[in-house]
Amino acid sequence: MSMSQRVFITGLGIITSIGKNADENLQSLVTGKYGFGSLEVLETVHRDSLSACEIKLEDRALSEQAGVPLHEGFTRTSLLGLISLQEAIQSAGLSPAEVRTSGLISATTTGGIREYETHYYELMDPKLRGDFVRFTDTATSGEHCERMADHVGIKKYLGTISTACSSSANSLMHGAQLIKNNKLDRVICGGTEALSKFTLNGFNALMILDKQHCRPFDSTRSGLNLGEGAAFLVLESEAEVNRKKRTPIAELKGYGNANDAFHQTASSPDGAGAFSAMQLALSSAQLQPEDIDYVNAHGTATENNDLSEGLGMKRLFEPDIPYFSSTKPYTGHTLAAAGSIEAVYCLMAIKHAVIWPNLNYKNMMPELGIQPVTTLRQEMKLKYVLSNSFGFGGNTSSLLLASV
Amino acid sequence: MEEKATYFINGVGIITPQKTFDREVFLSEISQYDKNILTCIAPDFKAYINPIQMRRLSRMLRIGLSAATICLRNSKITMPDGIITATGYGFLDETAKFLKELLEQGEKQLTPTYFMQGTSNALAGLVALTIKCMGYNNTYASKGVGFENALTDTMMQLNENASLNFLIGAYDEAAEIQYNASIRASHFKTEFINNLSLFDTNTKGSIQGEGSAFFMLSGKSSASTLCIMSDMDVVYKPDGRELQDALDNFLATNSLDAEHIDVIINGVSGDVEHDAVTNTLIRSRFENTAQTRFKHLCGEYTTATSFALWLGTSILSRQQVPDIVKVQHWNQPDKLRTILIVNQYMSKSFTFILLKEFVQTQ
Amino acid sequence: MNQNVDELIVELRAELIKQLNLEDMLPEGFDENTPLFGEGLGLDSIDSLELVVLLDRNYGIKLKDPKEGRHVFQSIRTMAEYIAKNRQA
Repeated sequence: MSMSQRVFITGLGIITSIGKNADENLQSLVTGKYGFGSLEVLETVHRDSLSACEIKLEDRALSEQAGVPLHEGFTRTSLLGLISLQEAIQSAGLSPAEVRTSGLISATTTGGIREYETHYYELMDPKLRGDFVRFTDTATSGEHCERMADHVGIKKYLGTISTACSSSANSLMHGAQLIKNNKLDRVICGGTEALSKFTLNGFNALMILDKQHCRPFDSTRSGLNLGEGAAFLVLESEAEVNRKKRTPIAELKGYGNANDAFHQTASSPDGAGAFSAMQLALSSAQLQPEDIDYVNAHGTATENNDLSEGLGMKRLFEPDIPYFSSTKPYTGHTLAAAGSIEAVYCLMAIKHAVIWPNLNYKNMMPELGIQPVTTLRQEMKLKYVLSNSFGFGGNTSSLLLASV
Repeated sequence: MEEKATYFINGVGIITPQKTFDREVFLSEISQYDKNILTCIAPDFKAYINPIQMRRLSRMLRIGLSAATICLRNSKITMPDGIITATGYGFLDETAKFLKELLEQGEKQLTPTYFMQGTSNALAGLVALTIKCMGYNNTYASKGVGFENALTDTMMQLNENASLNFLIGAYDEAAEIQYNASIRASHFKTEFINNLSLFDTNTKGSIQGEGSAFFMLSGKSSASTLCIMSDMDVVYKPDGRELQDALDNFLATNSLDAEHIDVIINGVSGDVEHDAVTNTLIRSRFENTAQTRFKHLCGEYTTATSFALWLGTSILSRQQVPDIVKVQHWNQPDKLRTILIVNQYMSKSFTFILLKEFVQTQ
Repeated sequence: MNQNVDELIVELRAELIKQLNLEDMLPEGFDENTPLFGEGLGLDSIDSLELVVLLDRNYGIKLKDPKEGRHVFQSIRTMAEYIAKNRQA
């Protein structure tokens, strides 16, 4: 990367099934508390057979936490996004003027589909009137971003990315690019995803859900657990950070985006896309594989991903594979929000010098011969951390975070 | 300050409710619609997609892949360095099919195909898969500014490395599910009209359109270069003077006065309220400039800027303005070298794109 | 209904063509013994999921493990034989 402008992370906000803010998430990561359990909020016929990492808060409680009225058509996806966006803004100590001159890049795969599936028949009949009307035009991916931007007062630059499970990693990349190109001094980037019957049934039809708690990188793994949540990170230029004389949380030092080009929903068996994304992230930061201290893997616990990603990591890092783990047993697979949620977990790892354990791991995959970190490791000085996010459509993304 | 590249449009492929996939014609055969829904005139897909691949592709995936293939062939690039797509409403027909099955069958016995085809990045993934492109791949689903995000992303990457080739495309479907719901929000007219009389109406709402348009952008020109995209800007929810200031700043940044612009492409949509804002803006600086409009041909959709970009590109590369886009009282410009696109979506987002003629030097 | 295997073969061929959009692409000499996956018709993993749903919807058979499908879905004949043996009312 020829541009000299460095990009720093100065604030973060997060809400998942293991905590409704950053502190609660951190506590859960440390104590091993995970969000996997029965579905209680989402209404579905699969309640007795499929579990997920659900946020045990009704929309009413989320609206209260977000500080918005209940009946104004904020979808659950936009409420989760708004809550974490507001925390990120506060965490970065941004003034209203600074918020106004920021960009907002969000990400989601489902947007307001949860509300659409609930009110579908009423919405389809133009003659009907009622409360559901507030969800007339909230299904699209981009709507939640406009909703959040309008609420906090951002309008300089908006964007919504939708590349399945790599979406919010790409949000962070686009934000970083905008800063490096001097288009904006500050961009708030992330993603949000609420559970829905639509996704639950979609993944069930693909037969990649595990009814049990998922086991990433385990030879007996049999699929992923779905989760919901949101996270946003405030990115600021080097010039802004110097001007404000605030110590940033970390640096977004590099990133890589590639495509596996193998199959619409499966990753290549040799991990070519994974390898490429990680390698691009390294070269963009002018680092070598041996510089990496920890990899937060995509690690969904599907047969396909963990093999593909594992082989990609081996090819890149052999013979010295760095510490790695998947935090998806904690939060489930939060789809578009995974990239930013896991970036937050990487930042917490760097700040507190810990490596989060890959819960539920017992049996090594014979094809890999490597194993993740399985217990909480403390006093781990982490300088360079990689965070992987790979999705349908072959989209592979990798973020490189550095301590400051 | 980062050096800006020059952005060359080196190829186009477009499928819309007019016969635009065929390079031999330029809006000379016009299709008419009278139920407020405009749907694509598609080519024979077999010319662009192999039958084995075709069987699992939805209609819009076939349209998108064909448009991308036409663009690749026209630009004579077989392997771009990146693929970026943009949409507003995504693959709504397939989303609706999965949703309906889900609801009607009580979440039982569902097949995954519609679910997979409904993901917004399915087209970008499909193009990458088809040509085995492992480069940069992204999809923006930002309602009225998605295509603009894709252009911005590309421009920034070309600033970094001008020799790259980026394949950028937009797609949106005239889906029934969107039509039914959006009537309530006055997106579309409640009275049926003929699309060609869109701008004679004085009512709220536009007509529903769709299309897919792909462009090959590079920081280097080639034998296939059609025109230059000099600059682009987007304004979101401007109030007070912000919209006027944004236009004036755009002109000033590019050292332009009204007389430097030969043709305006005006993104009015037939909605009486939204159009008033755009027309006032254009009149403020371009009272006497030759003006064209296009949404009577393609309808309104979130990525309609892509149609305008194709129109401007074609006007400059062919040195010809089709009669069907000219407004009344057309002032024939004495040259066709510089075009300004002023598009808007629901008066929420406004886009300015500056295009310049490219003359091949051999 | 006691359909025999031959009747099921006829029925399944039509169902497969419809469900998997195969009209334009049946290879020469395609019959009930042609391998459906790999060499032969060349179906993939998504198609196998569609076939799992077809078994459930049309014949009341729930295949819990997608790997079991590899044997069942070898050809139209193996599918017909499996259905004749296992179908629910």
